[in-house]
Amino acid sequence: MSVSKNRDTSLHLSNEKQALRRFLSLYIFLVVALLSLLSTFYYQSQEELMFSNQRTVLSTYANEQVKQLKILHHYFPSKTNYPRSDKFKSAIYDIERVYIFSTLENEKVNFDKEIYRVGTKIHFVKLLDDYYLGAHYLFSEIDEDKNWERKTILNIIAFGTVALIILGIFGLFFVNLFLRPMKNSIALLDNFIKDTTHELNTPISAILANIEMMDKSVMNEKNIKKLSRINVAAKTVSHLYQDLTYLVLGHQRTVRDEWIDLEALVTARVEYFYLLAEAKSIKFIIDLEPRKVWIDEAKIARVIDNLISNAIKYNKRGGEIRLILKEEHLMISDTGIGIEKEKISAMFDRYSRFNSSEGGFGIGLNIVKSILDEYKLKVEVNSVIKMGTTIKIYLPMGANLDF
Amino acid sequence: MIKKILLILLSTTLFSTTLFSKEKIEVKQENIFVKKCVPCHEYLPSSLERMFMSYLKVYSGEKTFKESLKSFLRDPDEVSSTMSELFLDRFGVKSKTELSDKELEEAVNLYWEMYNIRNKLK
Repeated sequence: MSVSKNRDTSLHLSNEKQALRRFLSLYIFLVVALLSLLSTFYYQSQEELMFSNQRTVLSTYANEQVKQLKILHHYFPSKTNYPRSDKFKSAIYDIERVYIFSTLENEKVNFDKEIYRVGTKIHFVKLLDDYYLGAHYLFSEIDEDKNWERKTILNIIAFGTVALIILGIFGLFFVNLFLRPMKNSIALLDNFIKDTTHELNTPISAILANIEMMDKSVMNEKNIKKLSRINVAAKTVSHLYQDLTYLVLGHQRTVRDEWIDLEALVTARVEYFYLLAEAKSIKFIIDLEPRKVWIDEAKIARVIDNLISNAIKYNKRGGEIRLILKEEHLMISDTGIGIEKEKISAMFDRYSRFNSSEGGFGIGLNIVKSILDEYKLKVEVNSVIKMGTTIKIYLPMGANLDF
Repeated sequence: MIKKILLILLSTTLFSTTLFSKEKIEVKQENIFVKKCVPCHEYLPSSLERMFMSYLKVYSGEKTFKESLKSFLRDPDEVSSTMSELFLDRFGVKSKTELSDKELEEAVNLYWEMYNIRNKLK
């Protein structure tokens, strides 16, 4: 019981960590997006503030330049020297945005903004009503004081980091708060499955043991048939119990790898399922060679049981199940409904079922795959619709020791 | 002696000035602007250059300048004239041009090229 509790705890922890990680990733992404947006707004407002300060200065310079242009226009061509100032640079463009003259250091001009930053300069555009010297656009240029930008970036980094930490702490608190009902539900469900599984064991074992002990020689044909049906039903439940037990407890079991006589094990499992197969008039065709593998018996038994159980479940009435054990592989094939090629890759997924008309939870093949993956055993599936399915498990080479 | 030198210098200057103006007239006679526009404007107090600057102050760009000037010359009136009221009262509005579209185009282009300020600013 304590083992089961540990397993549940670790499963919950892993699920919880995964949910926590996903939620936090999403939360942090949203927080970072929000902070970036706020930072952008803050940066833009600071830039606008700087522009409004510079606009006054640049507007004064532009007015001075207009006066100079007016004088030059009046005296042109006697005077041809373009007016210059130490405080700012300037350029004039005509109404068709064609260059007339410029002393700008950065010639990248933008006609569509009143004030803008370009490189390390600030440009201010004044539209002239009287086109002195043909000029409609007057650009004034000054050096940009980068202090505001440094200050703004430092503020963004400092406040952004603090906000990120605070919001992160809030996020952790909220995620725990939101996940609590989910954690409780999972724990409840897990306890239910665990308890139910545990409670199933005793009655099923009792039913199966008593069926074995019953003296069939004193029974009439009708009762023998009824007993056989009870046996089949009990074994079906027992098989389900084994799968559930493996799911709930399997991973926490101590590994008990040993040399297993696969031939004997397969024979025993075929005998176990004999009645189930017989109920559907399915014949077993067995071709087994002696083969031993280093594996946990309970696990390889789950693999064989699930493959045989599926071969019976999805077989047609009066069909066949062929079991071949060779040096290099164990092959189980049936004459059942088959699986579409596109669905083969998904057949080992948990809760995936070949056919909804058949019962089951869709956990059998998932258990098979997890065990085969654990032992790094390759599996090959071939299937033809309405012809049957063949599952081939490649066994580890060089492990068949004579002992 | 000084008188002699001054006389020689004066003679040289006069000779070169005469030669230059002759050359200028020869060049002028080749283009339509000089032939058809300059003669009338020579008698007006406002030079063609000042008129160019007045036009430039109102129309700014080359295309706008040329199109509005052509339009004015084809159909002159007081409203679209860039000259002062005083000038118009004294000299009136000019009469319609007799130049063909092609000649007018050529004359206006020459006018623009002659007084365009772009390459003259320093």
